[in-house]
Amino acid sequence: MGWEYSEKTKQLFMDAVHGKPGTHLGEIENPDGLGEHGSIACGDAMRFTFRVRRHPSDPTLDVITEARYLTFGCTSAIAASEALCDIIEKGEYTPISALQIQNSDIVTYLEGLPEQKIHCSVMGAEALEAAVFNWAQRRGVDLKALGIDLHDQETEEGRVVCKCFSLTEPYILRKIKELNLRTIPQITSAIKAGGACGSCHHVPGGLQDLLDRVWQGKLPAAAGSAAGSPLPLVSIDAPAPADFSPYQFSKKVEKVVDEYIRPSLKMDGGDVEIVDIKGTMVYCRLKGACANCAGAAQTLKMMVERILKEQVDERIRVIEV
Amino acid sequence: MDIIYLDNNATTRIAPEVYEAMIPFFTDDYFNPSSMYEPARRTGQAVEAARRTIADCLGGTAPGEILFTGCATESNNTAIRGAARANPNRRHIITTTVEHPAVLEVCREMERSGHPVAYVGVDRDGQIDLPGFIRALTPETLLVSIMHANNETGLVFPIERLSRIVKETDPGILFHTDATQTVGKLPIDMVRGLPYVDLLSFSGHKLHAPKGIGALYLRRGTRCRPFLLGGHQESGRRGGTENVPYIVGLGRALGLATETAHEDEARIGRLRDRLERGLVERIPSVEVNGGGGVRLPNTLNISFHYIEGEGMLFQLSEYGICASSGSACTSGSLEPSHVLRAMKVPFTAVHGSVRFSLSRYTTEAEIDRVLEVFPGIVANLRTLSPYWDNARNAPRPDAVGMIESH
Repeated sequence: MGWEYSEKTKQLFMDAVHGKPGTHLGEIENPDGLGEHGSIACGDAMRFTFRVRRHPSDPTLDVITEARYLTFGCTSAIAASEALCDIIEKGEYTPISALQIQNSDIVTYLEGLPEQKIHCSVMGAEALEAAVFNWAQRRGVDLKALGIDLHDQETEEGRVVCKCFSLTEPYILRKIKELNLRTIPQITSAIKAGGACGSCHHVPGGLQDLLDRVWQGKLPAAAGSAAGSPLPLVSIDAPAPADFSPYQFSKKVEKVVDEYIRPSLKMDGGDVEIVDIKGTMVYCRLKGACANCAGAAQTLKMMVERILKEQVDERIRVIEV
Repeated sequence: MDIIYLDNNATTRIAPEVYEAMIPFFTDDYFNPSSMYEPARRTGQAVEAARRTIADCLGGTAPGEILFTGCATESNNTAIRGAARANPNRRHIITTTVEHPAVLEVCREMERSGHPVAYVGVDRDGQIDLPGFIRALTPETLLVSIMHANNETGLVFPIERLSRIVKETDPGILFHTDATQTVGKLPIDMVRGLPYVDLLSFSGHKLHAPKGIGALYLRRGTRCRPFLLGGHQESGRRGGTENVPYIVGLGRALGLATETAHEDEARIGRLRDRLERGLVERIPSVEVNGGGGVRLPNTLNISFHYIEGEGMLFQLSEYGICASSGSACTSGSLEPSHVLRAMKVPFTAVHGSVRFSLSRYTTEAEIDRVLEVFPGIVANLRTLSPYWDNARNAPRPDAVGMIESH
């Protein structure tokens, strides 16, 4: 696959990992805004903090002066975090005007991102939104009253569509509209949904249904239209000897092992474990001193099999595992 | 900048001896082995000589049991689909959850065409669930396909034992193993060592032959239909004009690997252990994946908690060091390694995994160079990680739980 990153992306990443002056790694203590997005399970996560120059009377006129991040993620996730902080610090944004920064601005700043890495820029924009929401709470700003409808994660609880990345229906629907996503691969590139097991692509209520709902107003596809599900595993066990039920048969084998076989193995510091019984085949494993004995296989065949044949059923075969 | 190549489970450099041996078949001896004239006979003889070398290296099997293919993927497709088509009276297939996609994807396709497939799991050390494996065997079972060694972790499955259990249960069940990672690295003896294995796949480019050549060992009497139809080549079992230079290359490469196997294995194993010990000593919060089991001597899969693999590979590449990772960001999809996930390696460790795989050309100086630069690479990323406390050089207390919680 190789790295198809722009020079700008590579440079930002290398500057960040080497902690060059002017880079933004770290966390602001007692920040005015803190937002997180992603999780370690999903492969990338970001903690974003900012500080503002407080306006003496109107908090909506606070200006962001400093932005910092800590990011767990790949080269482009770290470069996107740098990009976000730099855009914000240079732009003299208020937290509210910072909401205009879109993931596409981060992509432009990075001079492009490979398609499958677009989600890194989305993570930056999401963490910023979460931080602004947090700032508004701290500063007592009523975002709703200002006509800003922020979707913090709690308000987006709902049916989980993509189980691999724990993404809910309201969240995916919103992102389809916001980012103008038209296909399942575009959804996956932007927000990862459907990117792992793929089982949510074409099931009823899955990604294709959500796309249809947003763009064509279609009803969810009928059940059963999805790709064929795997056939159930046919498990046919070998028949036990006719005169016993499989349960009785295995009880009998165990009894003989306990009474006739274990005692003599134990005298030598060994033991035998029955792993499974299928039909007349007895799978067992020698343990203790017997396990490392070069003659173990012989012992099993000669002694265990002979005794079981005599005591239980002459068709028994012992298989050492 | 000199390249330090530690990704030999992905592919290997062509040995100079192999390259030498191939050249005449590009230039002077380019004839079709099927043609009647005298010069063509020489190319035909070269193919048969390579077949004999390979048969010798696999424990002295009959040369007729070696089939040349285009790659190990083709060998796997031939083995699984060919066995299924030749034995229509049975349908059930058993494989494992940690196979290479060249087996896993074929099995999924078989499932779609009405073959029930049982996927046997592994434990935290990557060892196969033996009772689960035995439970999976049914009178309907057609084929068992289990890899010899895992490409990601280097863990070696006890194929000798598993194939014996299968045949003692029911000689009618076929046993296939994908030995792409072991042929040329471990001794393979189809006569004395693996007498219960019917089909064995491997390829050239993992053992210093070129890409584009593979082979399938097909035990005499094994019922298997061809995958590629369209010619009498390979006794009608694989159509297509023989890739003469590459077949010669594969023969030379396996001969070479077998000559030096003992010595290489010990030396490579020492270098791998030096790398493993060095990294574990120098870097906190690391975990060797599959470290508890029998591993290929050339493979080290190691996880660095709280950081992501791609950022490590990217920095390594700045030093000219080539390795790979099981992280989601390097997989081409968004899914991290299915092998490490099957072993229930925590997400933190899967995303932060790096695989180093050595070859006979790896030097001690190269390993020492990795040991010199790698601690810095990890520290750089941990400085940026929201889960790492730099003051203490340890994970943040709230992050520790994440290691085991997934």
